[in-house]
Amino acid sequence: MSKGLPVAWAKRSALAILIVLLFCVPLVLRNDYWLFVFCLAWINVLLASSLRTIYRTGELSLGQVGFMLLGAYSSALLSMRLGIPVWLTMLIGGLFAAGMALLLSFPVLRTKGVYFSVLTFLIAEIFRLAMWYMPSLSGGPAGLSKIPPPGTINLFGITSIGFATKSNYYYLLAVVVLFSLLLLQRAERSLGFTWMAIRQNDDLAESVGIDVRGYKLIAFVIGCFFAGIAGSLFAHFMHLLTTDVTAMFGMLTSIYVAIYMVAGGEARMAGPIVGAVVLTLAPEVARPLKEYQPIVFGALVIFIMFFMRQGIIALPYYLRRWGRRAAAGQERRLGENGTVR
Amino acid sequence: MEIFGIPAASLVQSFINGLALGWIYILIAMGLSLVFGTMRILQFAHGEVYMLGAYAVYDFVVLHGLSFLAAMPLCMATGLILGLILERFFFRPLGGEFLPTIMIALGVMIVLQAMATVGFGVTPKSIPSFAPHAVEVLGLRLGSDRLIAVAVSIALILLLYLFLKRTKLGLALTAAAQHREASLLMGINPTHMSVAAMAIGSVMASVAGGLMGSIFPINPVMGGTALMKGLIIIILGGMGSLPGVVVGGLILGFIDGVAPVVSGAATAAIAPLFIVTIILVLRPQGLFGHE
Amino acid sequence: MPILETVGLTRYFGGLAAVVDLNLRVSRREVFGLIGPNGAGKSTILNLIAGSLRPKSGRVVFNGEDVTDLAAHSRAGRGIARVFQANTVFPDASVATNVRVGFHLHTGIRFWESFFGWKSATEGREKLLYEKTLEILRLVGLYEERNLAATSLPHASQRRLCLAIALAARPSLLLLDEPVTGMTAEEVTAMLSIIRALRDEKGIGCVLVEHNMRAVMNVCDRIAVVNYGEKIAEGPPAEISEDPAVIEAYLGVEEDAV
Repeated sequence: MSKGLPVAWAKRSALAILIVLLFCVPLVLRNDYWLFVFCLAWINVLLASSLRTIYRTGELSLGQVGFMLLGAYSSALLSMRLGIPVWLTMLIGGLFAAGMALLLSFPVLRTKGVYFSVLTFLIAEIFRLAMWYMPSLSGGPAGLSKIPPPGTINLFGITSIGFATKSNYYYLLAVVVLFSLLLLQRAERSLGFTWMAIRQNDDLAESVGIDVRGYKLIAFVIGCFFAGIAGSLFAHFMHLLTTDVTAMFGMLTSIYVAIYMVAGGEARMAGPIVGAVVLTLAPEVARPLKEYQPIVFGALVIFIMFFMRQGIIALPYYLRRWGRRAAAGQERRLGENGTVR
Repeated sequence: MEIFGIPAASLVQSFINGLALGWIYILIAMGLSLVFGTMRILQFAHGEVYMLGAYAVYDFVVLHGLSFLAAMPLCMATGLILGLILERFFFRPLGGEFLPTIMIALGVMIVLQAMATVGFGVTPKSIPSFAPHAVEVLGLRLGSDRLIAVAVSIALILLLYLFLKRTKLGLALTAAAQHREASLLMGINPTHMSVAAMAIGSVMASVAGGLMGSIFPINPVMGGTALMKGLIIIILGGMGSLPGVVVGGLILGFIDGVAPVVSGAATAAIAPLFIVTIILVLRPQGLFGHE
Repeated sequence: MPILETVGLTRYFGGLAAVVDLNLRVSRREVFGLIGPNGAGKSTILNLIAGSLRPKSGRVVFNGEDVTDLAAHSRAGRGIARVFQANTVFPDASVATNVRVGFHLHTGIRFWESFFGWKSATEGREKLLYEKTLEILRLVGLYEERNLAATSLPHASQRRLCLAIALAARPSLLLLDEPVTGMTAEEVTAMLSIIRALRDEKGIGCVLVEHNMRAVMNVCDRIAVVNYGEKIAEGPPAEISEDPAVIEAYLGVEEDAV
């Protein structure tokens, strides 16, 4: 598929405009609550993208939340108990999560398919329970509160950026997440082709010399690293980590992250981004519905799985298809397999 | 007499309590295993069928004044209808693909949980016990309701066993679970098998919910715990193996009952997960599974 | 020096002796046949040579190097490439892309080049790889089908695609597991001439497991016969076809042959 130069530039400009718009959000949104939601959306974007990196090798990790937890607690505790600057602890949080992933990779990468998914699910649950039962670290039922914000940034003495207001958090999250996405995209660029080969047929990949275990390891560690970073960001953004687990690091969140990726569409990097944004904002839009809100969310997921299996980013494709079907006026079943990439 | 510093009597008491719970979990896990073995999907909404079974009994007994005995068949009917709807409209159209099926099951799980919250509220509800007395056996006090729950569970499992071994449909189901291609070649209709598996599994789950509901208070999120227990059991015992489910369930029941007393809540919660993790890595087919 | 040697190779599956004290010697530029009744252990032998199975005892020596402890992908790096018994392709990719994956170890693209997106380096390389892909496809006769979905090919063509993928890995020895099974007489002839061309023009030999006796006798330079995991004969085709032990081992099979 060759794309002309003008198309590539159009895409780049569209992306640039989008990023500029994203940075304008706090200026437009006067409402602190909605700013909060957007900030959560950024974190979910990072989580869903980290999941996608691992899924490129064909394994669906249902335990990203566990590594998020590791990043969050390590960053919070290091900054609170040892006084290490938050900028550093956030990075260490990610590294800690990556380190655990590396350690766990020996057993975890021996499993495949549904077993891998269940295993990662259980590991996240073990992390959560371990925290719950170590109140000296996790602060017990009250949790860890007053987690410090990132230190103020001194811009050449001209001005300083403090983190007292929500909008500065927004910018921080935007910058960190965008940079992370850039790194993920670069990794995808170098390793994505090999990852896809592994995903489609790992035995065949092995036979032509691809170190399947090694490549899966890289994907797994990278994915867990960024999940850890998401956790660090979360901790210093919320200033509070409770072990009221079902709310924060429970099974349901793991599932939500997977849903963001799949519903958004995992074929492209933009998929989990779109999925996370749409599915973080949608429930908030539906918040007035109160208890009915999850029904809307669940129904949305079901709808997407039935009618838009390739995800929200494939919307143009589906619109065209539905348009064609309506125009033809007949029921034709178009096969979904055999798509050539 | 003391073991581990705990009076033997209370140790045995907790052991039996755990076993009683274990049998109910076995009911749940049976359904999960049957569906996984036949349809090769992890039915994430299984826990919600269990939860809705509990709420069905609550609705019939508390809100409509039926006796427990009358409510049970209705509860089974609820489970049956739910299972059939799920199979026909949510799982069958997907053709068993890994990712979409998991996602749909998750979506259904979210919706059902929300529906229960909407319909019944988030505060836990109690169903008055159908057997509020206790029985003295060998110096131990055992709640009659638990004993009856165990009896019913065992009865259902025996029924299932007979069904699978003696009836034509049951044998077909076993064949389909063991070797899909071979069973297709023998003319076994996979759709019928899926329907049967979902129907049986869901009925067992809803009965389990009803039984559990009469012993403990119920809430809309109880499905999650049940799913977790079921998952642990079928991994321990081996996905797709029914004797494995019984063994796995008894082991889990043992740990659930005894561990909190012997080594505290932390171990009790983490130990099963840890054991299952090790099994997944070293012997993914579980104790009795075959793959 | 032989290109491949197995020394005392032994492998058990539980209590079953699948391969027992196997000593093989495959010379360079040689088409070496491996035949035997069903269940004789032929596929196991290929697995042991390729590295997807580890032996209980014995060694695999490739190009003078003991590779017994190397993982499968490392052996591929040394020059052993394999074609599986069942058609194994990358299902969601085109024929050309399938072959492109085979070049994994030989792309010449450095990691940082692709990471930082230095177009000049990677684009040039990709063009070169595409040329090489086409070359291989021409060799196996799949040039016309280069943009088709791999799974849309008929059986015999998929077989050739599997061979093409293996060739991309620049092997000095191929392991072919039933390369002509399921093919018509014409397709068999075509495949055999490809195998011969590889030996004669590219110097790539192979170890060939097959049931098609005519094909085996036709194309192999030497043949080893295994039964119940043990080698019962070895030599040029003419000798093998006269060997009484071989005939006895196969007698039962011939009567049951469908």
